[in-house]
Amino acid sequence: MRVVAVAVRASVVLVAVSIMVFAATELLPSDAAAVRAGGGATPDELARMRSEAGLDDPAAQRYLRWLAAMATGDTGTSLVSGRPVAALVEARAGATLALAGAALAVAVPLTALMAWAAGAAPRRVRAGAAGAVAGLAAVPQAAFAAGLVAVFSAALGWLPPVSLVAAGGSPLDRPETLVLPALALAVPAAAYGAGLLGGAVADALAAPHVADAVLRGVPRRRVAARHVLPFLLAPAVRVLATVAGSLLVATAVVETVFGYAGLGELLVSAVATRDVPVVQAVAMLSATVVVGGLAAADAAAALTDPRSGVPA
Amino acid sequence: MKTHRPSGRRRSGAALLAAVLLLSGCGGAGDGTEAEAGVALLRYAAVGTPATATNDPHGGVGNESDSLRFGLVYDVLAVPGEDGETELRLASSIEPVDEELVEWTVRLRPDAVFSDGSPVRAADVLFSLRRIEDKAAENFGRLGMFDFSASEVVDEHTLTVVARKPYAEVPRALESVTFVVPEGSDDFTEPVIGSGPFTLVEGGAESAVLERNDDWWGPAPELERVEISAVADPRARAQAVIAGQADVAGSVDPATVREVEGDDWQVVRRPSVTMYPFVMRLDTEPFDDPDVREAFRLAVDRDKLVETVFLGYGQVGNDLIAPADPSSPETAQRERDLERARELLEEAGHGDGLEVVLHTTTSYPGMDTAATLYAEQLAEAGVTVEVRTDPPDTYWTDVFAQESFYTGFYGGIPFTDVATVALLSDAPTNETAWRRPEWDEGFDEALATADQEKRTALLGGLQEELRDEGGYVVWGTGDGLDLAAPNVAGLPDGPGFDKMFIDQVRLAD
Repeated sequence: MRVVAVAVRASVVLVAVSIMVFAATELLPSDAAAVRAGGGATPDELARMRSEAGLDDPAAQRYLRWLAAMATGDTGTSLVSGRPVAALVEARAGATLALAGAALAVAVPLTALMAWAAGAAPRRVRAGAAGAVAGLAAVPQAAFAAGLVAVFSAALGWLPPVSLVAAGGSPLDRPETLVLPALALAVPAAAYGAGLLGGAVADALAAPHVADAVLRGVPRRRVAARHVLPFLLAPAVRVLATVAGSLLVATAVVETVFGYAGLGELLVSAVATRDVPVVQAVAMLSATVVVGGLAAADAAAALTDPRSGVPA
Repeated sequence: MKTHRPSGRRRSGAALLAAVLLLSGCGGAGDGTEAEAGVALLRYAAVGTPATATNDPHGGVGNESDSLRFGLVYDVLAVPGEDGETELRLASSIEPVDEELVEWTVRLRPDAVFSDGSPVRAADVLFSLRRIEDKAAENFGRLGMFDFSASEVVDEHTLTVVARKPYAEVPRALESVTFVVPEGSDDFTEPVIGSGPFTLVEGGAESAVLERNDDWWGPAPELERVEISAVADPRARAQAVIAGQADVAGSVDPATVREVEGDDWQVVRRPSVTMYPFVMRLDTEPFDDPDVREAFRLAVDRDKLVETVFLGYGQVGNDLIAPADPSSPETAQRERDLERARELLEEAGHGDGLEVVLHTTTSYPGMDTAATLYAEQLAEAGVTVEVRTDPPDTYWTDVFAQESFYTGFYGGIPFTDVATVALLSDAPTNETAWRRPEWDEGFDEALATADQEKRTALLGGLQEELRDEGGYVVWGTGDGLDLAAPNVAGLPDGPGFDKMFIDQVRLAD
């Protein structure tokens, strides 16, 4: 029953997200037909292009048509290039997966490290660490990426300033090109995640049963394993889902800066051309990752919460 | 309160970071020798965004990455040659049937074959031309001078194309954009085969791997393999060449070129590729007054604009709308004359000041700078200009061809194309509201003139009239700038569509 409830809740959230994304693209001036014509079509031609693409139907009808198609697994075709959306996304999903994977590999330990520094370090370290974490989280990705390029590429010459995926190749052919974009994604996201997790760490450590265990002389390693970590699992998974989500969102900026052919770059250009089916597909993919992660966190919380009484 | 858990985490995190950095250190930044030994490979980072990347060669083709690929995969009837002459490709001749210049016979070379082995027939060509006409709304009606429903196939390798009016520039009209696909191709969601010098072996729009087509009828390319990547950011394209990830970066910005020029990179300058004319609508106050338009042309400091906007990579303009066109007339350079500009404004009744709004955007590098600088220059002539920078997403639909005073764009297209798109009374985007029946008639007359010298003179006269009385302030043109590794030779350096055809590029040792 619990699984069903989680799944239903997740689907409701996803539909809500899709409505919001649709409404947001709807609010932007101009549409895909106008972009395709580039100002070179007569009003009659423009009207014909709109009607061919179904753009002259009311927004609600277009949304429902999209939702119905989506329910059958049909993601549609791009309004601008006429290529199938699934193919567009598929061609770039691997690249973004590789980049997000590399970024997560850095972000997860980094989040833990920073959360510890901000939540559990000795008092004099803690204040400084919390400030540094908050500061890092506030740096815009674009500025952070530019800073990385300036230091590691321009000044030191260690790493390439761009990350082209070779035509017909894979980003893993040149792993060194992943480093700077991965760091540009990981560090701000990890700082954001650590800001959220730091409090949970401090709370878990301050719980009375922890102090009690320490007083009873339980070895510290055991206190950590028995009395602290289990309480952190659910918030950690939740934070992980949020970090993964903010990583995916940030690919829009970072991929463009590094010329990296991934989903973020696709999203940016699809928004610019009002290509609604493409925008929706990429946005839903990111939303699914976050919502799926949060659902997993809920499940983890239910399984690990010593007070819930639900058997593991 | 302390626990030991996090310090263990810290160590592993630090180790991982170190490992990642170490791994990257091994690769190094200048690692550009990816080519399989002995294969002549050209890696081209071209302008392109994924959302507009298309497999359809007959629509808008906004991405240079697409037009490059189409130029390699498909045959075209002709390409731009030296000095504005037409160089035939798939066509072996393009000749008028009679002196009327309406019906034209296009003969095809008999030895062209598609990559599936089937011959390229007149029917394929006519099918492709009709498809381009069908997509007129997306390609600015580029072949609008033809009536392809009246055109017909004569035999396997001959067709007649029919112009709507006498049209002496038919060979030129059939240059570049006439990509030929097999008859009946109507699904372009996947790439469609062609008969050009290369074939697509992997990828498609956005990122393509092409290999030499040894069955191509033309001069065998020295390149064996071409890889094209669409890269939206101009800086990233340039950096890709500098970091050794690409051999050529198409259309980089002047600032980057200035930074790296003199180093080991070669800069290919394609003259008169970028033009940001200021556009004034003749049907709107105050630009309906010819004195105001003249004053606005006299107030501009052309040298300063070219130096600031294109960083000197360009030429000063003389208000001629197609300076790279062979028919562009030779006339004395218009110089800045603030005194005369003030006089004219006073005569026009604006002696105690004039306020206008100048629209601009950031679609192309320097467009906003151009408008800001021009506003300052106009201020010296007593005109108060409010510069309004509109978002690039909507500029081409909401401002372009709508507002009365804005910063326009032309990408080095021939005069006849500018006329068809923007100057004839019924042109779809007559942005200056230039509506003169006599001028239209003059245009028709010029194009009905078979003698090339006479035709050039007539076309030149039309351009001169437009220069002095029209709604354009053409202060300069910027060079198209490509950045290439030192061993790349033979990159196209002509204006307009010339840059699409890279099949004869060579790699020096």
